[in-house]
Amino acid sequence: MHIDPFRAVASDRLALAGLFILATIVFMAVFAPVLTFFSPDCYTGQIFSHPSLMHPLGTDSLGQDIWSRLLYGARTTLLVAAGVAVISVILSVLVGASAALIGGMYESIWMRIVDAMYSVPPIIVMILVAAYIRPSLLITILMISLLSWPEGARIIRSQVLSLKEREHIYASKTFGAGRRHIFKSHIAPELGPLIMAMTVQDARRAVFMEAGMGFLGVSDPMTISLGKMIHQALDFTYLEVWKWWLLPTGLALSLTLVALCFIGFSLEAAMDPRLVPGPLERSKEQC
Amino acid sequence: MKNELPGRGLILNYVIALAAIFSLNFALPRLMPGDPLHAIYGDEALVSMTAEMEAHLIKQFALDRTWTDQLATYLIGLLHGNLGYSYYYKDQVSAVIMGALPWTLLLTLLALAIATVIGVIMGIEAASRRGKLLDRGLTASLIFLSGFPMFFMGILLLLIFGVSLGWAPLFGAITPYSGLEGLDYLKDLCRHLALPVSALVLVLVGDTFLITRSTVISMLAESFIMTSRAIGCSEFKVKYAHTGRNSLLPVVTETGMRIPHLLIQTLFIEIVFSYPGVGLLLNTALSSRDYPLIQGILLLLTVLVLTINLFVDLLYSKLDPRVRYAH
Repeated sequence: MHIDPFRAVASDRLALAGLFILATIVFMAVFAPVLTFFSPDCYTGQIFSHPSLMHPLGTDSLGQDIWSRLLYGARTTLLVAAGVAVISVILSVLVGASAALIGGMYESIWMRIVDAMYSVPPIIVMILVAAYIRPSLLITILMISLLSWPEGARIIRSQVLSLKEREHIYASKTFGAGRRHIFKSHIAPELGPLIMAMTVQDARRAVFMEAGMGFLGVSDPMTISLGKMIHQALDFTYLEVWKWWLLPTGLALSLTLVALCFIGFSLEAAMDPRLVPGPLERSKEQC
Repeated sequence: MKNELPGRGLILNYVIALAAIFSLNFALPRLMPGDPLHAIYGDEALVSMTAEMEAHLIKQFALDRTWTDQLATYLIGLLHGNLGYSYYYKDQVSAVIMGALPWTLLLTLLALAIATVIGVIMGIEAASRRGKLLDRGLTASLIFLSGFPMFFMGILLLLIFGVSLGWAPLFGAITPYSGLEGLDYLKDLCRHLALPVSALVLVLVGDTFLITRSTVISMLAESFIMTSRAIGCSEFKVKYAHTGRNSLLPVVTETGMRIPHLLIQTLFIEIVFSYPGVGLLLNTALSSRDYPLIQGILLLLTVLVLTINLFVDLLYSKLDPRVRYAH
């Protein structure tokens, strides 16, 4: 599987659009303190004020500046996405690859655990636990990571199993290479594109779960979350405020998810040989 | 022959998963700092509780005995269908959930059916016009839609058709106290269903479409399609009777696998539209910290999801014998 994920993304307009959206959101989240006049938790003295120069998106029912809450909420979203993606992918690779390489009892125990965890939707477990402990940001990241690695571990394991049977691996074994060497120089490099696709997938799920928990009100009350803002705003649809409160917040969250979806879709398409169109059709398929 | 019984390993997985959820339900309130009774029932519920009631509950949960006794009491209670008492609704948890479940099932099944029919038809039509304007347009827009989070789709529809245009009701499943009967009742029901179901369908239809499209595209290259064209079958018959029917297997299994996901999304959609199903119930339970109800709902959802997954897995290995040897 020799695929260059960067080229796959760069030659796909859908993925480029996704990258562009994501980059914009990352930029705004990183520079949030510079782009806003108010701290997100500060009471500005006025509730439900219309958009103005001071408050680009007005203020909410608690008199907080919506624009700055939006940017700081995006920070939470991206932090969770990045944290979960990194931790979960590392766990997936560790478990999946070691299970495939070591085999035997070790493999079957791990795969039993993976299969069992895989059959319960993570968000149900997440809501259940969060209802009791109202997790802080760090705990949220750790919890989502712990719940989302099994799917990746399964994929990595089957990939490593098939890579293990290649001629060049046998050749390298003949020369006395150990497991560690084989993994490091023959298997890990081939896993690159797969790991990238998994990272995007994990990030996407993390964004959704963090927003979902905020929406249900089971995350730490101090965390600013887009999901929580949406839930708050939903109670005021009878006022005009939804135009600058509910709509932009929902849009920001959706754009993050859509951007990740576009990138993930093009990475997956690049790796699935059945979906890769021939050179003639390639131009046609791009929409 | 290790592979003779594909079901056994599968069922074991589900038993393990179920046991894990049960133990989580059992252990969480007991691991919380402080009095387990407070954690089981929530602080709000205990404010109004008398000493006798508390003593009764401690006896009921066997909280004054060892944890093995507590576990036994918990499991026996579950086997009797006893999920506890919801202090917020002042009723048995199982009764409260059963009152909401039909609405959720109605929403989920209706959306699933509509999305599958539309997705399959559009998939077949797009595949047979591969690369044309219709195909490209449909593929691009449906990929875009399927990336949308469902609850935001719900919010958009609510804002456009409910708030701005006022075409559809903003909340609920029927107009309260209207006393409608017969056909009018049905009409009222449909008016309330329209927006939540459309939100689910709009996001759901993309996956069905993409699977159908790619299956049909590879099917159209098969020689039996050429044969049916050669013997003069009409294009409609080739598309639907020959290609369509043969591509149903992957579509059906993929649809089955997505039911759990759909169920979860429906919960969020219900909250957006204040639709009186399990999702709205969960929302109320979470905000009023009615812990027995939260546990009951999540337990029921887990059992539902596991049952569906098990069923789809078994069906899959039955329909496609190759899967049996994959493990």
